[in-house]
Amino acid sequence: MSVLLDAEKSVVIQGITGKMGRFSARDLMEYGTKVVAGTAPGRGGSSVEGVPVFESVAAAVRGTGADTALTYVPAAAALDAVLEALDAGCRLVVYPGDGLPVADAIEMRAAAKERGAVLLGPNTPGLISPGRAKLGFMPSTCFAPGPLGVISRSGSLSYEVSKRLTVAGLGQTTVIGIGGDPVKGLTAGEALALLHADPETTGIVYLGEIGGGDEYDIAAYTSHPDAKPTAALVVGRSAPPGRKMGHAGALVSSRRDTHEAKMQALLEAGVYATASMAALVPLVREMMHYES
Amino acid sequence: MMLLEYEAKRLLRGVGIQTPQGHVVFSERDLAALALTYPLAAKVQVASGGRGKRGGVVKVDDAHGAQRAVAMLLETQLDGEASRAVLLEPWLPLERELYLSVTVDGTAGGYVVLYSPHGGIDVESGAPPVRYAPGRLQRFRAHELREVLSPVEHDSVVRERVLLLARRLLMLAATRDCLTVEINPLGVLSEGRLIAVDAKVVRDDAAGFRAPEIDAAIRSSWDLEPDPVRLALQGRLSYVRLEGDVGLISGGAGMTMAVMDLIDAAGGRPACFLDCSANPTPSGYRLAFEMLDADPSIGVILVSIFGGGTHMERVARVMVEIMDERCSTKPVVFRLDGTNADQIPAIFGRRGLVNCASIEDAVRDAVDLARSRGASIVGGER
Repeated sequence: MSVLLDAEKSVVIQGITGKMGRFSARDLMEYGTKVVAGTAPGRGGSSVEGVPVFESVAAAVRGTGADTALTYVPAAAALDAVLEALDAGCRLVVYPGDGLPVADAIEMRAAAKERGAVLLGPNTPGLISPGRAKLGFMPSTCFAPGPLGVISRSGSLSYEVSKRLTVAGLGQTTVIGIGGDPVKGLTAGEALALLHADPETTGIVYLGEIGGGDEYDIAAYTSHPDAKPTAALVVGRSAPPGRKMGHAGALVSSRRDTHEAKMQALLEAGVYATASMAALVPLVREMMHYES
Repeated sequence: MMLLEYEAKRLLRGVGIQTPQGHVVFSERDLAALALTYPLAAKVQVASGGRGKRGGVVKVDDAHGAQRAVAMLLETQLDGEASRAVLLEPWLPLERELYLSVTVDGTAGGYVVLYSPHGGIDVESGAPPVRYAPGRLQRFRAHELREVLSPVEHDSVVRERVLLLARRLLMLAATRDCLTVEINPLGVLSEGRLIAVDAKVVRDDAAGFRAPEIDAAIRSSWDLEPDPVRLALQGRLSYVRLEGDVGLISGGAGMTMAVMDLIDAAGGRPACFLDCSANPTPSGYRLAFEMLDADPSIGVILVSIFGGGTHMERVARVMVEIMDERCSTKPVVFRLDGTNADQIPAIFGRRGLVNCASIEDAVRDAVDLARSRGASIVGGER
């Protein structure tokens, strides 16, 4: 089993006629994802890569039974596009875009919660259930099926680490990009709860960074006696305080945000935590060997 | 982007929050036209906190003092930031100083209200403020905040006024794209009237597309930078200068930090955080090289990109073109991987470029090159 995504989910791509939408439609279908529809207002009735294009998500849902949306629209249109997908009944929505105003992220998050739907993003590559389906633009070759659930605040870091895990024979049930913004849909804590409930996932790898509070959710989880073994990489040790490191959330503004405080909390909770990408895979291997 | 105090107070007045009747002056000449009453506070206008503790606020008793204070504060630099103006305000007789702010907190999924009955310059050394987390404007309930405030604020007149003020701050944050709206101190005048003695507002850079004043402020902040940096920022590269000599061109914030940490762990010093993922185009990468090539303290450039949506065979071709064009002799170390990375060896091979097998290899090579260059300078060979 995987969490959130499998080969049965029917996907509508919002903005399918754009460059990213078109590439993603082909890439997702090659991987086995069921892409059943696209939307592009003004372009309804056409098709992209053999996928029918609709005027609205509601029309796409009526016409194809789509239940999952992947949203490729610019930041200025993102809130409206995500609300449209939720209103049309999509239960899982991925918004990969970055540069979204926080006020809009707050509204997106609240709208998804209200409907009991799951929003991933903003600022995420999406998620992949290796060997089953993917919903995003991560490079497929980095991933392989296996026992690990991976949660990441950063896209490219999740590709690099997943590739290393895959090469080391440590495959993944699901790799979830939660995104690097301070306010987002699915949080680290919520992603953990999903992976915890998944019987196929026997170990968890978390990729975090300075700033924000997600790392404390990981520490709190691991303190539970029935927690699955968890490893973590926290990047940003060499970053100076008070400066925003690219991600809107990667800003040290208090002691709690610092690399040192997070590492301490994770280690005290029993997380296999490291500050070095080079040390992570050996640590995960040790964790999976020791815990089994 | 943090506003100057006088800009922040203008925003507060726009939603009916009382502030001192102040005057902004940009030169000593501006003083002549003003009818001032004394004593007053002269406050340097820079976009950073802690001005009071750092000599940026002066009490002034007469016209001569005002002249001197303005002259001095216009020349003041705080943490390298030059003064942009001086704000003159009446020195108010305050009965108490409180703290009130609305800020974004990811753990609350949105906005939180923070309050302390003891505000002013030492707010951070006292008990932490009480916290109310409505998340969004529509979820704000004054009665819930009242329950949070009651244990710490015993003056019911003040408390009820704080409730009204909190809603306005939240409205401002939610409707005008503010990440933080902080009033510290929030002064208590006679009869419990509240006044925003100081104000800190941070607006959301991402909202530039719908707030022309944010867009304009971001653009004018770029103009303060030297040319290659200004062009890179205009080209949507995310750049923070650090103190080291290993230049890093990277993609993705987390990955960039991970490689910075590896450089640091290998005994090197990263020269920058430079994330090109918002503009992974030939012109974006050219701007990155132009900026790092022009920086004399950078001895080597490490290109580390793991592309997902970015197609790496295109990046590799661009790198070959840039290597053909550039005049700098700074060594460049490459580590490219990701979508279509299998095509890289053929593209690089034609030009004799090498793509390192791992980030660790690339970092080690880059740190070694930086070290040998540093040694040669110390040895006086150049």
